Amino acid sequence: MSATATHDELHHDHHDPGFVRKYIFSTDHKMIGLQYGITAGLFLLFGFFLMIAMRWSIAFPHEPLPGWIAMFFPDGWEARWLQDGKLTGDAYNMFGAMHGTIMVFLGVVPLGFGAFGNYVTPLQIGAPDMAFPRLNMMSYWIYLAGGLVMCASFFMESGAAKSGWTNYSPLAGIADGQIVNQWLAGQTQWLIGLVLLITSSLLGSVNFITTIINLRARGLTWMRMPFFVWAMLVTGFLLLLAFPPLEAAGIMQLMDRVAGSSFFMPSGLYTSAEGLMEISGGGSPLLFQHLFWFLGHPEVYVLLLPAIACVAEIIPANTRKPLWGYKAMVYGVLVLGFLSFIVWAHHMYMTGMGPVVSTFFQTTTVLISIPSVILLTSLIISLWQGSIRFTPAMIWACAFLPMFGIGGLTGLPLAFNLVGLHLHDTYYVIGHFHYVVAPGILFGLFAGVYHWYPKITGRFMSRFLSHLHFWPSLICMNLIFFPMLTQGMAGFHRRWYNGGDSYLATDPESANVFGRTVAEHIDLNIVMSYAAWAMALAQVPFLINLVWSKLAGRKVESDNPWNATTLEWATPTPPGHGNFTTEPVVYRGPYEYSRPDHDEDFLPQWTEPKKPAEKPEESPAAH
Amino acid sequence: MEIPYVVNPRKDTGLFNSKIAIWLFLASEVMLFGGLFSGYVFLRIGADYPWPERTLPVLPGLINTFILIASSVTVVFAWAALKMRKWRQFQIFMGITVACALIFMVFKGVEYGVKFKHQALRMNDFTMVEGHIGYVKAKGGDDHADDHADDHGEEHGDDHAADYARDVHGEKIEANQHVFAAESVAFNLARYHKPWAEDLIAEAAREGVEVKLAETLDFNAGEGGEEPVFEAGTVLSMDLLDDLADAYADNLTRNATWRKRYLRKAWDIKWEDVEENNLLGEASFAADFPKALELESDERKKAYTRWKAGMRARMAQDVTIDEVKLSSGSKPVTIDDESYASRELPAPGSAKFTCSKPLVLRQKSHDVITDYKADNSTISLRDGTSLAGAYKPSPMDFHDVDGIDFQHLAMDAEKRNLDPEITIENSWLVKNNPVVADLWTMHKDAIAQLEQNLIDHYGYRKGKDGKPLEDAAGNPVAKRVPTEKDRYRMGWQEIAYYMDLLDKHEGEGVPKIDLPKDANAAPKVTMTPKEHFMGPDYGTRSFPHLTIPRSEVLLDAKFTPKWNSYYAIYFTITGLHGLHVIGGAIVLAYYLFFGRSMYLSNPEWLANRVEVGGLFWHFVDLVWIFAFPIFYLM
Repeated sequence: MSATATHDELHHDHHDPGFVRKYIFSTDHKMIGLQYGITAGLFLLFGFFLMIAMRWSIAFPHEPLPGWIAMFFPDGWEARWLQDGKLTGDAYNMFGAMHGTIMVFLGVVPLGFGAFGNYVTPLQIGAPDMAFPRLNMMSYWIYLAGGLVMCASFFMESGAAKSGWTNYSPLAGIADGQIVNQWLAGQTQWLIGLVLLITSSLLGSVNFITTIINLRARGLTWMRMPFFVWAMLVTGFLLLLAFPPLEAAGIMQLMDRVAGSSFFMPSGLYTSAEGLMEISGGGSPLLFQHLFWFLGHPEVYVLLLPAIACVAEIIPANTRKPLWGYKAMVYGVLVLGFLSFIVWAHHMYMTGMGPVVSTFFQTTTVLISIPSVILLTSLIISLWQGSIRFTPAMIWACAFLPMFGIGGLTGLPLAFNLVGLHLHDTYYVIGHFHYVVAPGILFGLFAGVYHWYPKITGRFMSRFLSHLHFWPSLICMNLIFFPMLTQGMAGFHRRWYNGGDSYLATDPESANVFGRTVAEHIDLNIVMSYAAWAMALAQVPFLINLVWSKLAGRKVESDNPWNATTLEWATPTPPGHGNFTTEPVVYRGPYEYSRPDHDEDFLPQWTEPKKPAEKPEESPAAH
Repeated sequence: MEIPYVVNPRKDTGLFNSKIAIWLFLASEVMLFGGLFSGYVFLRIGADYPWPERTLPVLPGLINTFILIASSVTVVFAWAALKMRKWRQFQIFMGITVACALIFMVFKGVEYGVKFKHQALRMNDFTMVEGHIGYVKAKGGDDHADDHADDHGEEHGDDHAADYARDVHGEKIEANQHVFAAESVAFNLARYHKPWAEDLIAEAAREGVEVKLAETLDFNAGEGGEEPVFEAGTVLSMDLLDDLADAYADNLTRNATWRKRYLRKAWDIKWEDVEENNLLGEASFAADFPKALELESDERKKAYTRWKAGMRARMAQDVTIDEVKLSSGSKPVTIDDESYASRELPAPGSAKFTCSKPLVLRQKSHDVITDYKADNSTISLRDGTSLAGAYKPSPMDFHDVDGIDFQHLAMDAEKRNLDPEITIENSWLVKNNPVVADLWTMHKDAIAQLEQNLIDHYGYRKGKDGKPLEDAAGNPVAKRVPTEKDRYRMGWQEIAYYMDLLDKHEGEGVPKIDLPKDANAAPKVTMTPKEHFMGPDYGTRSFPHLTIPRSEVLLDAKFTPKWNSYYAIYFTITGLHGLHVIGGAIVLAYYLFFGRSMYLSNPEWLANRVEVGGLFWHFVDLVWIFAFPIFYLM
């Protein structure tokens, strides 16, 4: 492939595709990444909105939803699902199940893996695109279809799925049983959506791994790969191997619903609606939990790794020193990926699996904290003695460290099955994993947005608005999730739609200790709810920033505005179709900052050494 | 822009892109089928019922196995031919591969088809009956042998059309149905199932029954105006139901909107009162809770928190849409000087229709929610429709019983320390059906002979010291005994064998069984080649007829995933495998029929694609090699 041919091709590709091929059915990994990002962002907002409504019901269970929440509901829908303007238990369950589903499957994974992975990975390895561009496009559209199928069920007679995001059978198996045409029941649509989402992420992960293995630029050996790429590789393998068992479970549950089978339905199942169910029985509800959590736990790392990956790129670029313990982090992430496959049953201590099984999973769960701590510690030590530039991306990355730290450390007690007896299904668990996901992972991803925005658009994001976004978010996050840990230890159950209000009818002098403990901590509900609503406000500057900066932000003057070292900064801004104007060649590791033998405080991977060890065909593009 | 390593392998990895991709994809497929196979293991180990063993016809499965293996070989030949650039040879081998896939799917389709037409029933005492239902005329039993030829093929024309019960669409009813004579029908206006309502209207027209609205439904509280009024006596139609549902939904929405506004207003009034009178302050706390003054400050603070939280819950009782209780008394809630009650519109959730004479309706058992009792005067359907009237006899009529299975009953009896054979003799089926009683007598006889044959041939078990082993009762332990399946299940071959004897010895009492003195002898008819694939030939074999009253029916199903977890996992794994076969065959056929132009322009690329397709094809074969033994042989 000669340089002229490349140029001609580029020229050709730039001008030929019409609007539809360029922006909608695009095969360019960058456009697909942006599509993923925007779609996932919208789903995140929707999932967050569901929670805003739920938080009203938790804080003020007797008062109708206020106008600023209720205005989003169509009148007919409100009449069907709300009772005097208040959330009913059914509607709350629906919102709760869909909040979890949307945030995990439609929001964070597509944002981390789909958007950042798609946009950044090929750039960082010096590839012209993903290995299979059309597969990449298909992956996005199947994801969108899956998401829409799931969310459309809000408007069906049955309503959306309502059995929790974990969708445990037999509860999920019997929900919506009153619907004659089971294909049009929300609970079934959830499964169809899930199968589509899994298909999408399988296509995506095959594509990612192939790209990373085979399309690395010349000179980019394994140990010269940025940590980001390593994290994506491991994420790809997690998706590839952990999702199929859930797909099997989804198909089996689908059979239970539409073909009347009893995979997960025990013998003699009796419900208030139908009496003795007309099913064969003999199935195993526990089987569903095993298959679900076989995915469910690696899924946590699918959420986490892209965020850590972003932070690991941002910290060296803004401390102007190499990533501390790069090799340890790479091996750590590989071990983490492996261990994440053998910890799943720590979600199931209360199912009566038996002490032997519990002990095994307790041990592996404690073990997995070792690689996690390696990752986090390396990132923290990377800050040491750095000359830190507090760019917008860096403040988010810095906040990620303690926030994720809290999330991780609050998880340790949950690893022990004895403690699980008390904390299982309480707000403690909710607080723990939200600390990991919301102020942890989302902060990491926000950092990523601020970091790569100049490359994507050619303009910087507003510094003022980013601070206006950051500080309220940081405060609100802690006001929302820290009280959850307290409430959880006081015994608050995670699925109370009225926030524990039923325990307040007891006399203050009563001997009902549980009721009294709940009453003492119930005011926290109000604090948390106000914080959640303020959190929503805090996102407004971000949305404005995204749009305003694209239109009127300060323009970048160089292709490498942060003076970073990895390959994505060697591309034009924004990168065109095919990414690189000349074939990139890599000469060194990814984090060569502040080298004593070099005048500048950074030495990009693509900069030709002064005394070249090997002579490249053409001079690499250094700006 | 060009993606590198599409055709030629990258030097350091030695692989081209799609080869990496297919191995990764197959890894995920291994996890998918691994999940399903571990599901099989889990379900089988945890089964609390006799797991059906060796129930599928082995011969077609075995042939299919060899067909798939053969196709895996030919696909490699096809790839090799491409590598040698021999297009003609590629065509031949790829053609054979695709043809093998088609033959495989045909066999599979036949196997599935037989299952979908085969009815099974679980009775209250766990007796299982297998056969065919819905064939009305043969119920009498005299002429059934002549008519059987038509039973399994529409191709015989409609000569015997009248022999089948048919629904309003003219479809044969081959399902277990409740028959109910409805005097009135009440539709749930939120979620009545349209197809059922349409069937009901068609059935009423066919029977000449008039279905009319029972009472006037005034959706405007008698005020006139826009909202509709439905007069009593209006004839049921889909349009009417639509209009009723719309009117209901409109009023529901309007009422809900107002209710919400009134409730918000009520809370506003309450909060004003709370603030004005400082109802949540320390003073109110002390007044409400006099003991507070005696508490330590820490305890007092806690008590105050609890009291305040509790107050909010108690306040909810003071707030209703019509009235708010305040510290100064109570106050009605009005908006624009109007109360909610004056604004509320009627929104009846159901509409009741009466039938001019009882309308006989059939509904699948699954769709009837009410538990069956012969004297039920109302039943409710899955969509919320409620029927009032009386049950008609609605038994399940089996016209070809080709399986009677007491394994589950026996297992249940053993669990309760009962003798299985006595329990079987006391079962409803044996007691109430003389033919089944005869069959069981003959079967017991046959199994006793089989047991003796096994002892004669294999002898008794001996301990390590060479002495014969004895069981707890002091009897010697035989080396081999008949299996539970042999003992408690009469399959179609056994039934046909016994029925044949019964027919030959008609009027001579229960005939004696005389098994040959051979360990392999079994009371079975020999299958014809066709029967290996299609199951029993109902035209030549003789099978009993049974009528099982509704009250004895516990669960019924075709031989589908509903029948038990064995069929569920069988259909799921083989169904998914079948989809893989179809998908793979389509891709391979695409290379075969549309690969020519690529062969001419870039033969290596086509070879790569065939290689990748072939790897997938091998995987499909591998799945079958696991599926075949666990479903057909174990």
